[in-house]
Amino acid sequence: MSANRAVWGRVRSRLRAFPEHLAACGPEAAAYGRCVQASTAPGGRLSKDLCAREFEALRSCFAAAAKKTPKGGC
Amino acid sequence: MLRPAGLWRLLWRPLAPGVPAENLGRREVASGVSLPGGTSPRSLNIFDRDLKRKQKNWAARQPEPMKFDYLREEVGSRIADRVYDIARDFSLALDLGCGRGYIAQHLNKDLSDLVLHHIHYVLKPDGVFIGAMFGGDTLYELRCSLQLAETEREGGFSPHVSPFTAINDLGHLLGRAGFNTLTVDTDEIQVNYPGMFELMEDLQGMGESNCSWNRKALLHRDTMLAAAAVYREMYRNEDGSVPATYQIYYMIGWKYHDSQARPAERGSATVSFGELGKINNLMSQRKKSQ
Repeated sequence: MSANRAVWGRVRSRLRAFPEHLAACGPEAAAYGRCVQASTAPGGRLSKDLCAREFEALRSCFAAAAKKTPKGGC
Repeated sequence: MLRPAGLWRLLWRPLAPGVPAENLGRREVASGVSLPGGTSPRSLNIFDRDLKRKQKNWAARQPEPMKFDYLREEVGSRIADRVYDIARDFSLALDLGCGRGYIAQHLNKDLSDLVLHHIHYVLKPDGVFIGAMFGGDTLYELRCSLQLAETEREGGFSPHVSPFTAINDLGHLLGRAGFNTLTVDTDEIQVNYPGMFELMEDLQGMGESNCSWNRKALLHRDTMLAAAAVYREMYRNEDGSVPATYQIYYMIGWKYHDSQARPAERGSATVSFGELGKINNLMSQRKKSQ
């Protein structure tokens, strides 16, 4: 029981820092968002990995931001 | 059993802090109206009610449950407005699903026939039922963002936002349950959040996480990141916050009584809709002739 709670606690603390890391990646997030939004225009079609390049940029920026700020104690 | 004027509070009072965890799953509904615990063969089994109960209990046990009450408070006050709008006195009222007393119905999206029939049965003739529930546009921003992100990241999507009753269905449900003189009107409350993640935290705090049976167990972190980016890009306000729309349907249904106005006989019309533009003339003519 308590082991689950420890895991859940870590997951939640990681999730809690989510908005902060995302805020550090404004341009990358906007680029990805624009790419997805563009596919919703008439004539567009959203398929898997259509915006993979933009997402990769966002993901690496996010990971870098997460590394910089140390997560709270376990 | 009639009591003197007063407001009865029944059902779903959230647990007080300090209730031992073992009792949570077995909390009884303390009321005289026995809502169907299982499902009738006719109604659709869309929601895992046990899970919803657990979500509500969890939310009530969190350190600051009142923090997430803002939506219920607002809807509760709008319902109270509608009560006051009715030019009648009622000696007795039943507040169903009152929680902490918002005078909001339990915001239960799974409105089965049986619940409405029960309510209609319990009413006295010429009694009225006023309810509120989430409408189809609720959280459309969240729904769309998740859908788009999941499609782009994973190639498909599954529902993360519960299905809501359509407004037409609501009228039918109320009519089938025997209510007379129905009105359904709709209202939108927009709440701004710093971001998608904070919105989801609040929904969880309200006990409103998805509990439909066909929910996906996991929301991948990548997908959540993608959805947050899409949400912000597509919907953000000027000040950088993101909006979430809560559409509320308010329904009012009356239990039949002889004194109530009835639709006029077919063919008894004396003016046609085409003359609507001249309504001012028509009304002054009528006043003169009286």
